[in-house]
Amino acid sequence: MTVYAVNKLCRDALRDLAFREAVKRDPVAAIASRDLTAEERNALLTGDVARLYELGCHPFLLAYLVRWDLFGITGALYNKRIHALHGAPQ
Amino acid sequence: MAEIVAGFGMPHNPGAPALVARDGPECETARYYADMAKHIAAVAPDVLVIFTDDHFNTFFLDNFPTFAIGIAEASAGPNDQTPMPRYDVAVPGALAAHIRESAIARGFDISLVQDFEVDHAVMVPLHFITPQMKIPVLPIFINCLAPPLPTAQRCYALGETVRAAIEEWPQPLRVAVIGSGSFSLEIGGPKIPPGERVAGTPDPQWSEHVQDLLREVRIDDLIAEATTARMLAAGNIGGELLDWVAMLGVIGARKPVTILPQNDHGQAFVVWRWN
Repeated sequence: MTVYAVNKLCRDALRDLAFREAVKRDPVAAIASRDLTAEERNALLTGDVARLYELGCHPFLLAYLVRWDLFGITGALYNKRIHALHGAPQ
Repeated sequence: MAEIVAGFGMPHNPGAPALVARDGPECETARYYADMAKHIAAVAPDVLVIFTDDHFNTFFLDNFPTFAIGIAEASAGPNDQTPMPRYDVAVPGALAAHIRESAIARGFDISLVQDFEVDHAVMVPLHFITPQMKIPVLPIFINCLAPPLPTAQRCYALGETVRAAIEEWPQPLRVAVIGSGSFSLEIGGPKIPPGERVAGTPDPQWSEHVQDLLREVRIDDLIAEATTARMLAAGNIGGELLDWVAMLGVIGARKPVTILPQNDHGQAFVVWRWN
């Protein structure tokens, strides 16, 4: 259940300005030392919020990433991808 | 002896302080919070008890209590970068400790938190209703956001237990109680509306229905209907209704004197007074 580490990362993006700036600058390097599975790391780096949601990342925390377009996740992109989930209202 | 003098329910949108700063005192949100402030002033409480849900700020998922009570002499916030003034506020530590001890004796094992700050769910309401921060505030935290949530029955019973504890308090004390939260709200989940935003109100009808039940004093029906599945169908933040249910447990089945709906936002401002 290392999805905890993704949740923690989202919270750190809110609270830790140095970490947030590092993600903006070089996302691969910024999360290199984080205890993430390969799937989680790939989902983050590709902005696959739907996959992170499915893995159990809390959406309230996941939505923090949009505030600064971290990992390239704009509001429009987040919205589009989260709606791609099975059973989502159109 | 201490007495419960009023109940309140209201939302805590983190955008509200900036919205009101921009749109002025005539905008709906400003007027509705001002109405709450007027009632607070009229009942002149010595203490505010607020049932609140922490948004992973005071606590995090490494240690996330189902029920917790703040026992300290002071707190501060918001601790989540909500765009609003930062406040210090007194906490009635002795009363809080008494409530915890009494609740545990009655079978409610409430966690303890000391040396804590609070997030927008406490500070946004206080910003509007007691901006001078002269009334001590006792936060009781309920997990409304990270399933499995406590049941509505359990939250109502928590409120009843808190009421019994307050009424045991030997000194005269006027206590008003607040439930903080929305009825329908989705943040970051698949029920947000298409577009560019990451939040929305999936179920304004549920918000209206909750207010109908409150208006008709059908508290038993509200508790029966407010299952986790039903609340979460109204959005992944819909569990905040539990803060209201606990508040209702404190004040009992009473008719509200004011209901100010914002159903487009899945929320309302409600006041209960009886003297």
